[in-house]
Amino acid sequence: MQIVKTQQGGTLTIALDGRLDSLTSPQLESEIQGKLDGVAHLVIDFEKLAYISSAGLRVMLVAQKIMSKQGDMVLKKVCQEVREIFDVTGFSDILTIE
Amino acid sequence: MKINVQSLAFKQSVTVLVSISIVFAILFGLGGLRINEKLSQMLLQKGEEISRANVALINNLFSSGKSIGEELSVEIGTQNLGGEELDEFLLHSLTGVRATIPQVVAMVVAFEPGKAPGGVEGEYMRLAYYSGKETSVINGGDYGETKWYKGTKDSLKGQWQEPFIGQFIKEPIVIYTTPIFRTDASGQKEFVGVLCVDISIAFLKDAIASIPISSSGYAVVLSADNTIIAHPKNELTFKSNFASISRSASHKRLVEFENAVDQMKHGLFLGTSVDGQDAAIYFTAMESINWKFLIVWPAEVFMEEQRSVGHMFAFISLCGYFILFVIVLVSMFRVSRPLKAIAAAAGKIGQGDFSAEIPALPGDDEISQLAKSFEDMRQSLQAYFESEKSMDRVKRDLDFSRGIQVGLLPKDESEENTADDRHALAPLLLPAEDIGGDFYDFFKLDNDRLAIVIADVSGKGVPATLLMMVSRIVIRTLAMHVDSVSEIFNETNYELSRRNKDNLFVAMWMGVLNLKTGRVDYVSAGHRPPVIHHKDCSVEFVKGKPNLAMAVMEESRYTQESMTLAPGDSLFLYTDGIIEAENSEGKPFGKFELLKALSECCEHDPAELCKFVKARMDSFVGEARQMDDIAMLAVRYDGEKDNR
Repeated sequence: MQIVKTQQGGTLTIALDGRLDSLTSPQLESEIQGKLDGVAHLVIDFEKLAYISSAGLRVMLVAQKIMSKQGDMVLKKVCQEVREIFDVTGFSDILTIE
Repeated sequence: MKINVQSLAFKQSVTVLVSISIVFAILFGLGGLRINEKLSQMLLQKGEEISRANVALINNLFSSGKSIGEELSVEIGTQNLGGEELDEFLLHSLTGVRATIPQVVAMVVAFEPGKAPGGVEGEYMRLAYYSGKETSVINGGDYGETKWYKGTKDSLKGQWQEPFIGQFIKEPIVIYTTPIFRTDASGQKEFVGVLCVDISIAFLKDAIASIPISSSGYAVVLSADNTIIAHPKNELTFKSNFASISRSASHKRLVEFENAVDQMKHGLFLGTSVDGQDAAIYFTAMESINWKFLIVWPAEVFMEEQRSVGHMFAFISLCGYFILFVIVLVSMFRVSRPLKAIAAAAGKIGQGDFSAEIPALPGDDEISQLAKSFEDMRQSLQAYFESEKSMDRVKRDLDFSRGIQVGLLPKDESEENTADDRHALAPLLLPAEDIGGDFYDFFKLDNDRLAIVIADVSGKGVPATLLMMVSRIVIRTLAMHVDSVSEIFNETNYELSRRNKDNLFVAMWMGVLNLKTGRVDYVSAGHRPPVIHHKDCSVEFVKGKPNLAMAVMEESRYTQESMTLAPGDSLFLYTDGIIEAENSEGKPFGKFELLKALSECCEHDPAELCKFVKARMDSFVGEARQMDDIAMLAVRYDGEKDNR
């Protein structure tokens, strides 16, 4: 999976490309844990993400918990398949999906 | 003691206490009615006892007065007494009667004008009376229009007159008047005058004042038109009319009172006494003279008795209530305390501290069994880690997790002792190489209710396995004590969220199948909906709100839903490892393919159903590696034998 980070002022955009599963999730988690200082808006671009597993959901949860303390977090361009996983697990209720 | 209002103990205690309160309220209501009834009965009985002798005494007196009047009037009429003879007769009779009935204070004869013997013209009235020292006879007059004379003349019958204060005898008297008839030469009976027997009723006041009546009660005598003739408060006699009984009388009005006197002869009322106090009033009608004998108890005293019984009842209830509260609270804390200890120990183990011992619990209930199995797990963990230190850590973790997962989950119904002839059930677990979070569970809550659970814990390795163990244990324990599935989920989520440092979460679906009715109460916590595989092989997803997965947020609340299975219908529970299983081209099996596979399987044996789905999935996936755990659980509902 490819992770592209773009910082613009207080806004950090993380674009994901590939699959976010138990193999790739630790990679994303290491990009988030302890590296969001000073970020007020976190945008995660799901455009090229085809799949998210429960391990991936966990990383979203970690990020959401950090961001709700210091700003906000938005998930963008979520495809139908991934959206369904958010819905089924009830995560759509606690994440902001645009 | 700090009380957590979210705790199971507290909630259960409140539920029990609310139920008890309702029961108590009903008891209070019934008890109150019964007390009132008993007190009324008691007063009625008391009234009767007190009245009986007094009423008999008064009745006797007036009956005597009446018969004296009847006798003497006949004598005067037939002997045609007049002048000296009449005076002599009156004096003689008065003295004679007074020897036995000293209340007779006067005797009066009044003739129709011109009808007196001896040729007296106009009115002629002679009055023999006792002055307190001696008896004497005097003249009287102007009686032609008096009520007593006219009344007797018009009716030609003996009658009692309303009592009054005498003109010559200054005390309350009541008189009995009888017509005097004379038979003339032609044998014709003719009305010639009226005889009065005057009876003093001054003695009544002392008589009733001396009647001992408990609870501050007192006796009152009323005349035929409800004038007070005797009352312990002298100033009220002959001045007040008992009509005031009608004012603010809460139960009966005066009219009803009078009707009741006519019809009932005795009874009990709540009303207002003449001095304006609320009172309980017992009355008896006196037949000889149509008066009423009353016993009045001030309402305060009456109410006081009622209240003191009520207070005693309330006090006893309150004590009982308090004791119950303590017992319920203590027993509930006894249930939940070990759970907390286990949860705390599990938390420590999760952080790698395998020395956290689980307190041994006495007895052999669900919780001590749970504590024991948890302790066994901890010990094997500890032993395992100590003996296998050289092993590769990750591999060791995973082997351990898989060992727990495969070893812990029941493989068939015989392990859980759930088998019966109303359902069939089979699980299938396909653990992935490096994951260990999926689990299913099934157990009976009682003879008629089967709980089925499927869940997927996020993450992998020891933390996921421990979370799985804890979830499974908490669900099982709560299910034994809490009826509602949503409440089990609320509580489990709360317990799991509080200690969730690793941000793991659990997607879970749990249903409770009623084996008698086929009704399934279920809750989904972020889990994919099971499939209903109907008897005719048509299929559909179970409907309902997915809710949020567990352990994400402490305050999540879960919505419970229900459906009803027809005999022959099956429920197919699965984790998303099936949906997400991919073939070598990266295409997932998907939910529609699952639905299709199930619809094409007309096999109703649960084990075969699971195998069929696995075969379909295997052929789709081909050589690709299994990425995630897959758990399945199929349950067929057969219903009661008689209904099949």
